[in-house]
Amino acid sequence: MTDNHLLLSNLEELHDFDVSWPRDFRAQKPGVTSVLRVKNEARSLPWVLPPLFEAVQHVVVVDNQSDDGTPDVARRVAEESGAADRLTVTAYPFDVSRCGAEHLATPEASVHNLAYFYNWSFAHVDTAYSMKWDGDMVLTREGIETYADLSWQLESVEAVIAMPRHPLFVESDRVAYLDVYMINVEEYVFPMGEAYRHVKAYEWEMRMVPRQARRVRLPEGLCVELKYLDSDEFDHWVGPDAFGATPRTMRKLREWEVFHALKEGRADEIEGVVRIEAPADYDHVITYVTQSWLPRQQRPITVPVDQRPGFAEELTSVPKAADKASAAPR
Amino acid sequence: MLEQVPAEPESEKLTDEDLAMSSTPGPTDTQRKVVLVAGSGRSGTSLMAGILKQMGMTVPEPEVVADATNPKGFGEPRWVVDFHETLLKRTIVQTADARPSAWFDTGRAGTRELNRSELTAWLEQEFTTADSLVIKDPRISWFLGLWRVAAVRSGASTSTITMLRPPAEVVGSKNAYYGGRQGDISRLAGWVNVMLCTERATRGSSRAFVRYHDLLDDWTKTVVRVGEELDLREVADAGTGKMQEVHGFVDPQMRRVRATWDDLSVPDNLRDVAQATWDQLNLLAEPGGDTADVHAALDELRHRYGALYADAEAFANSSVTAAGPAFLRATRQARAAQAEADAAAAYEAASPMRKGYLRTRRVGGRVKRRLQNRGE
Repeated sequence: MTDNHLLLSNLEELHDFDVSWPRDFRAQKPGVTSVLRVKNEARSLPWVLPPLFEAVQHVVVVDNQSDDGTPDVARRVAEESGAADRLTVTAYPFDVSRCGAEHLATPEASVHNLAYFYNWSFAHVDTAYSMKWDGDMVLTREGIETYADLSWQLESVEAVIAMPRHPLFVESDRVAYLDVYMINVEEYVFPMGEAYRHVKAYEWEMRMVPRQARRVRLPEGLCVELKYLDSDEFDHWVGPDAFGATPRTMRKLREWEVFHALKEGRADEIEGVVRIEAPADYDHVITYVTQSWLPRQQRPITVPVDQRPGFAEELTSVPKAADKASAAPR
Repeated sequence: MLEQVPAEPESEKLTDEDLAMSSTPGPTDTQRKVVLVAGSGRSGTSLMAGILKQMGMTVPEPEVVADATNPKGFGEPRWVVDFHETLLKRTIVQTADARPSAWFDTGRAGTRELNRSELTAWLEQEFTTADSLVIKDPRISWFLGLWRVAAVRSGASTSTITMLRPPAEVVGSKNAYYGGRQGDISRLAGWVNVMLCTERATRGSSRAFVRYHDLLDDWTKTVVRVGEELDLREVADAGTGKMQEVHGFVDPQMRRVRATWDDLSVPDNLRDVAQATWDQLNLLAEPGGDTADVHAALDELRHRYGALYADAEAFANSSVTAAGPAFLRATRQARAAQAEADAAAAYEAASPMRKGYLRTRRVGGRVKRRLQNRGE
């Protein structure tokens, strides 16, 4: 704790898990630290971490009760990337309330609240900027170049960076499907100051952003979000009716539909999904997509709504037709 | 964001294959290569681009035409100069801008899809005629990230050559050849800002640093080193004919301005940062000199310069505040004067009688003035 930090305590009075949050990002070390809150992401981390080590100065992995060896995999990948000294692995041992009603019922200052979990995780950052990241998000080659530049260009300004990400459904090490009807933009990079703490919102946490912050929205093609078709990603959902109708849950509905159609071999029934097969000289389809296919794909990658079949007739319908013709890279 | 914290899932059994590192092959799938020549203006960037062109690499045409400030040619593609100038104008950044925050402004322009697509389309077009391109422009430091992204999209590799010349000579040369209102202090601050951030922007990528003096003293030794460091086939394979051409191109007398600190009027703190920057950059030009210690020293200098600039900006805050309205007023007046001149020209062009009348009046005025002069 220094003069530059304020103390956030928890209702449970677990002082080992108090949060020491920086007041002024300018008093922090220059650079960007990526923070990953993960649970059972051992499978994805070998894809996720190496690009991050190229893009930012430091990575913090906060493990939340994994039982698949996630922390050890993180350390091993960092070692193999020559970045062991730029990785911090830590553990958050508490159950965290689920988004929605459970979250709403949990006080913000409880160790079980998402906002408190986020504040505790990000308090490990000692650089001026933090970058929120998920354990299944992989930067493309273009994404690495973009964030590597931002990691020093942000030194003299106060700004928040938003970026779209693309869902990539991985069928095998040779084949994956990219959803080109889904656009999911979020803010990822924030200064580490008092004005940028996480607070409680209705369904989940949110990060405060003061008015003076400049904003940048990055282009498409910088990041994919991995979803393995042989996993049980949506098994805890009862069915599509459970999603409701908010914008967030509509995205989940689309993911659920695409995931199940692909898993059940009905790819040709889903509009807006591109099948990608890795050439023989690539070791894995994820490598091919992030190093070559996405960077070289014609822009825009996400098909604009007004260019989708059936747009004029029925805005809300989900068209059904194959879209494999555009799978070939430019 | 963790949109859903799922119920405790059953642990999946992971295989070695699942956990295998994503061995990443090089992002390029062709022989396409772009060599970016960066550094402050008046540091030998044209000379370096010209040598690589003589060696067989391609400078996209048309090139900027040579003039008295650069009689052997600039080695600058016209399209690239126009592209960079447009982006700098849009972001209100000067070629040798001294503001550390200007890097964020041009970096943000580099993240715009419109600019990425435009540069990629041009690069793809140029790759239809040649695989090895040399791109040189004193403005390129501001857009190195944008060039790397366009190269990635085109399946090309990039390398950067940064030219080094003592800061006092650069400022002296700019004063001699460009003149203008800018003084020693702002020119030196611009040099520090551009050089420190060019180094930062190229760190970790394929790069080489070249002293202008070394190139003039013995270009063969310097160019061979650069060719090896950047794996430039054209340099390695150059025959005697090409070497003769380069000998004809390199003129050791090119270094016409030899200013020192004694020739400049700059504050001590800025001179100290500039000298320390020059000392560290020099280490990068030595074989094996691109080390973590030098990077750390340059990081420290970048932050020291940032603090120095922030102090100067705060010191001159009254001038900055006053300059805003004055700039707007001057811009309005200039626009109004231009519009009036355009309207007058259009009126004159549209009316032959008016044109004849004005010509007669001008001739009459000249005769009258001569007669008056005679009488004096």
